[in-house]
Amino acid sequence: MNAPARLTVPLESIEICLEGIVPATICSCSREGMPNATFLSVVQRLDENHVALSFQFFNKTRANILENPRVQVLLVSPETSEQYRLDLRYLRTETEGPSFERMKVRLDAVASQSGMSNVFKLRGVDILEVLDSRPVSSGFRAEAAHKADYLPELDSFTERMSRRGDLDSLLSAALEALSSLFGCPHSFVLFPDEEGKRLYTAASHGFAPSGVGSEVPIGEGMLGVAAERHAAVRTTNLTREMILARAVRSAIERRGEQTLLEREIPLPGLPNTQSQLILPLLVRDSLQGVLCLQDPTPGRFLATDERVLQIAARHLAAAMSNIRLPASPSRTVALRRKGAFSKRSSVVKHYKSDDSIFIDDAYLIKGIPGRLLWKLLEAFVGTGRMAFTNKEIRLDAGLRLPDIKDNLETRLILLRRRLDERCQFMRLVHAGRGQLHLEVRRKLTLEDLP
Amino acid sequence: MSVVVGTRDSACVPEAMRAWGPRVGRDKRSVSLCCALATSGRTLSNLRDNGRVAVIFCLPTNYKTIQLKGRFLGTARPNGQDLAAVERHRDSFTASATGVGVDRRFMEGLWQKELVESPVMLKIRFVAEQVFDQTPGPDAGARL
Repeated sequence: MNAPARLTVPLESIEICLEGIVPATICSCSREGMPNATFLSVVQRLDENHVALSFQFFNKTRANILENPRVQVLLVSPETSEQYRLDLRYLRTETEGPSFERMKVRLDAVASQSGMSNVFKLRGVDILEVLDSRPVSSGFRAEAAHKADYLPELDSFTERMSRRGDLDSLLSAALEALSSLFGCPHSFVLFPDEEGKRLYTAASHGFAPSGVGSEVPIGEGMLGVAAERHAAVRTTNLTREMILARAVRSAIERRGEQTLLEREIPLPGLPNTQSQLILPLLVRDSLQGVLCLQDPTPGRFLATDERVLQIAARHLAAAMSNIRLPASPSRTVALRRKGAFSKRSSVVKHYKSDDSIFIDDAYLIKGIPGRLLWKLLEAFVGTGRMAFTNKEIRLDAGLRLPDIKDNLETRLILLRRRLDERCQFMRLVHAGRGQLHLEVRRKLTLEDLP
Repeated sequence: MSVVVGTRDSACVPEAMRAWGPRVGRDKRSVSLCCALATSGRTLSNLRDNGRVAVIFCLPTNYKTIQLKGRFLGTARPNGQDLAAVERHRDSFTASATGVGVDRRFMEGLWQKELVESPVMLKIRFVAEQVFDQTPGPDAGARL
């Protein structure tokens, strides 16, 4: 076997050109000698001498590659605008394995978000040997090396996580640390519901409104696909991805094949997201949640960022899992009524049909967290009780909680954050491990409705 | 609009490069493009070797793309009209790309690399024999 060719410009040094921020062009040639040029959606670096291209449609490039293995890809650096030519030789097409799976998750995620799941199908991954990688201009300057040493930030992140004793403060600390240490000011965490069908946002940082409580079906859209496949999904230029998807959508419509199309799903979070990194929070391959980072700048999350933030996410998942272990007996927290008790009163309505709660006719929450809050409010209004324990809630048959104890804590976080955001006079305070304190500073009238 | 020229050598090894200021001739079949002379060595050599050429024209705003395939006719020094077309192309490409979120500094950098650092341009003329829809999707490559 021949030793790999020494490239004029190492692929590693131009990895940013392979991030899909700026489209690449591929030029192939038929056996008869007619060149063909077209734009490429994905070029993935495999190692120092190999790249992978996605194979989705049977087109002229595909036919040419099978006839004549020599192709050239023209790349542009989004940072320096420098152009590079990759002289390539087609080796084989893979239809399984790590490269295929990685590209498939990414493609499926974008396809689902854009309503094109029946159209964007990864048929294979073409593996090509890089014979040379050379700059187009003779006076090129080397690309700036991307920071790879994140040890101090990771050290600080894990240290901050280790100081947190409850899930709520752990999440807040983690999202704040992602912002201050890693420069990711827009992030949110979603948790899977008891049925494993939907994700709901339990914590966020850098969003107004917070988006807490919003839901996404597992398996749908980029977030849902990342959760379903237990795989990271990273995008570097969402505008470009969506323009590409819409171009293909128009082509499908012109063919009269509208039945293949599904609706485009609006992306949750920032209205102008360009870069997004979705990291499933996994412990022993069990989905604890999903961490999503967004940024309005294209190319914000590169391959190095993904690797570093993956480490942070794995640590966060492990910390979440540790916190959810059964609580040891802890001291009783002295309860006292905080803040002035207002003379005003409010009406809280509970609709049994979906356990939705409305405070003075403004929607607050529904489902299990709604049922939980109603139970606490009934006790508070009936007996003046303000202190509760997680254990009694879990054991309360009347609450009809699903038999997944881990989720109680995440539901309480959601409830707590919704109250913080939407109610001025009622708070649910974490009062030590496994204990809750309901603070109400207004007279309440409860109405239980069908 | 992004314009890329594809050629190949005698061993069918392809070569791609950017081009600027496309103009259609009076005969409605011939097309001229300007390329940076300093970086077009292999492209020119390929065109003189076998004359086969493919050129794609892509709008960054919606990815509508066409590809012309044809035969090389010759080269010339660009005249004033050619250079004016290059400038118009530069400005419209920058405007449409920045309109879909591309950083203006990136476009200016591309322009700098392509045209300022390689100031001598060469006009390439070819005759278009086939036109293809190259917009991404299942019909990419369909003959028009």
